[in-house]
Amino acid sequence: MKILYKHILSFLEEKPSIEDISEKLFQLGHENEITNEIIDIEFTPNRGDCLSAYGIARDLGVFYKFNSWLDIDNSNIEPLQIDFTNKCSEDCPFIIFLNIEIDGEIKKYQPYIEDYFQNLGVKKNNFFTDMSNYLAYEIGQPTHCYDFDKINNEIEFNNVELDFEFETLLGKKIKLTNNNCIFSSNGTPINLAGIMGDKSTSCKKDTSNALIECAYFNPESIIGKALKYDLNSDASYKFERGVNPEFLNIAIRRFIKIVSDHVNISKINIYEKSYEDLIKKVLDFDVSIINKILGVNISKDLYANYIEMLGFALTNDKKIIVPSHRHDIKHQNDMAEEVARIIGYNNIEIKDFMPIDRDKLPETLTKDKAIKNLLIKNGFSEVINAPFTKHGSSTSLQIDNPLDINKSFFRTSLKDSLVDNIIYNENRQHDSIKIFEISDIYTKNNGINSEKSLCLAISGRVSNNYENFSKKLDKKYLNDLFANADIDLDSNLIEKVSRDGLKTKQKNEIYCLEIKIDDIPKLPLSNNHKASVNKPFFKYNKISDFPSSTRDISFLLHDETLISELENTLLNLKSENLKEAFVFDFYKKDSNNIKIGFRFIFQSRFSTLTISDVDKEMINIIDVTKNISGVEIPGL
Amino acid sequence: MSSGNEFEPILVEDIGSEHPISQTKNYLLSLLSSYGFTSIEGPEIETEEFNFDMLNIKKTHPARQMHDTFYIDNKSFVLRTHTSPVQIRAMTLNQPPFSYSSGGKVYRKDDDATHLPMFHQVEGIHIDKEVNFAQLKDLIYKIIFELFGTDTKIRFRPSYFPFTEPSAEVDILSNNGKWLEILGCGIVNPVVIENCDIDAITYSGLAFGLGVERIAMLKYGVDDIRDFYKSNLDFLKQF
Repeated sequence: MKILYKHILSFLEEKPSIEDISEKLFQLGHENEITNEIIDIEFTPNRGDCLSAYGIARDLGVFYKFNSWLDIDNSNIEPLQIDFTNKCSEDCPFIIFLNIEIDGEIKKYQPYIEDYFQNLGVKKNNFFTDMSNYLAYEIGQPTHCYDFDKINNEIEFNNVELDFEFETLLGKKIKLTNNNCIFSSNGTPINLAGIMGDKSTSCKKDTSNALIECAYFNPESIIGKALKYDLNSDASYKFERGVNPEFLNIAIRRFIKIVSDHVNISKINIYEKSYEDLIKKVLDFDVSIINKILGVNISKDLYANYIEMLGFALTNDKKIIVPSHRHDIKHQNDMAEEVARIIGYNNIEIKDFMPIDRDKLPETLTKDKAIKNLLIKNGFSEVINAPFTKHGSSTSLQIDNPLDINKSFFRTSLKDSLVDNIIYNENRQHDSIKIFEISDIYTKNNGINSEKSLCLAISGRVSNNYENFSKKLDKKYLNDLFANADIDLDSNLIEKVSRDGLKTKQKNEIYCLEIKIDDIPKLPLSNNHKASVNKPFFKYNKISDFPSSTRDISFLLHDETLISELENTLLNLKSENLKEAFVFDFYKKDSNNIKIGFRFIFQSRFSTLTISDVDKEMINIIDVTKNISGVEIPGL
Repeated sequence: MSSGNEFEPILVEDIGSEHPISQTKNYLLSLLSSYGFTSIEGPEIETEEFNFDMLNIKKTHPARQMHDTFYIDNKSFVLRTHTSPVQIRAMTLNQPPFSYSSGGKVYRKDDDATHLPMFHQVEGIHIDKEVNFAQLKDLIYKIIFELFGTDTKIRFRPSYFPFTEPSAEVDILSNNGKWLEILGCGIVNPVVIENCDIDAITYSGLAFGLGVERIAMLKYGVDDIRDFYKSNLDFLKQF
């Protein structure tokens, strides 16, 4: 919420700088940013009382003296004869209607109002609505302005089930459905209570006879409606967070004063009704509880002083009376938070956290961790996929409110996600893909069933080293992987995935294995990994979105002792565009006749490499090897 | 790497990788274990009772609206929006003192450049006699110093969570001079303690929660949260 610095100052007896106010707001828990003379404040949802210049100044009252005086109309106002029926007083327990008629021309707004519109960029509508909007900004109480001549002196409030097309005062047509709190006139809804009025009865530029509704709505009756109907409503934002039911009369009298600052008022009448007693919350005054919660040691007198600074009353029998605007204060922990905000969270001294003394159990290696270790050791990378899918079955859990139609169901298998992952990587030129996921799978069958599953998927080369470069990942690979770990798995669980319908030009076979963790018969053999190994954190290299280029080069060596030198030279080359280098081929006829093939993969983070770019890289590589005697490149 | 014959090229073993989010989550759980927290697990599909009611999140709270929470099977269940219900379930079955940590996937109906519908949290709760805010600060300092170094500048800000009172958000000062929010924490709201049939007069507690992705992004220097879930091997193999 944006508030002008000068409007906050108008409710403070001191004149702190805007920077000081900003700092104090942070201490109170109100994140904020300053732009010129405007403070943009983010309030937590429990602090509806702060959503106005008056409210935020009142909260700052713990640091600066709060000036609560408001320039209001104090005249004796004759009662309004209006036919009002409240059929749901639990949703609207306090209400005031003010009939106000003006005469004369309004030439321009007073500077304090004009500041609000100009500096905060608020759009003007018509006189009464503009005054209403300013009032809500200034003191936090929303009001709604009807054109009194259009409502025939008859209004009903109710919480009713509706199926009705409603045109808001901003001209937006919405379909009211299910239960809504509504003001009606002659049986027609004219105001979505606490949110927005309709077009037909709202004030216009030529309205001179207005009916101002000033109410307290139960936040639970209002919440979610503005969002449901996609209405941007400052009123509902305030009502949802709770306005001050004790403040309605003051608000309406302030409204009269603001109007009278601009134009002659020819008639005012008021209707005021409370349907329940206003009961103030009372808490025990007990500083020992506050000290216990916070771990501080403040005195009783200091606590009493804090309570006074907060605007709370302290009775002779040591009770704290919570003011009616503080809906968020319910128990002693809330009072502790108030004290902590005044002290400053950062000023509360640290005390040793004492862990519970218990025997530390040795960390156990669970089956899923052991399997994970086995797979990582064999070149598999773990993936994590969101569990949403468009494919549902009789056992699928359906999401009532999916992000989109393609994410309507909870997956009942991990396989499809992993096949998608394979295709994604194939399309990024990966030709050796080994991935796995371990995740809970949820299905419905007389309730919700949950089982932890493992799925692994493979495609392409076994690995890039020269022993495995020409070997393909297949069913035998998976069988051997588990057999070597002494796990007897049913090979029928290994499924060859059809490439029909997959968006890829690759032809490598894809195999998947999906199994419930509980169905894996035992821990893998010779699993040397500990239950958990924390790898150090490091700064990762940003990956490229551009395609890579691959070049192979073969060397003929006449001395086997040169293998290591050539390898060290080429595999430790540094180049910005060199993504990967490895020996993919090795043939040793005898110690003086050795062939080694190196593969280089180039990729830029900034552009697609041209043939010329890659050629330059290769020339540099070849140049480096020219320094090693006894190494030649056949054909060069 | 294995070197067989010295006159043969090194046979590079193909080592895979644990997902960076798993690594970060496990790191955090391991760190909490060193402060006496026992790691517990629970379902991702929860009842409203455990995900909201027991945590003092009222029916009217915005988090319970259809635009924030995924509901399942005609609102019979929700996808848990935090890992707190895991702790609540444990609290209903045990009497203090105890310290539990929970880590795992959570879901919120959000999908943009900085928010994902599925992400990970690690949370901790510690219930004992005379647990106070000053001790909470000590624990938070210890966690943050362990994560980011002992010269890290830390700031506590008042905040609001229905399940803690007082509540705080904790920021660290980044190298560019901006404060970064790292975690939320607070003194467990006595209403929550009572909801679990624990005597809130005798016992009090502290609780905190960290976003695993946020920590992983800071620790690894990843600047786009979506990179974690593209399953790109160029990305994953680095970890």
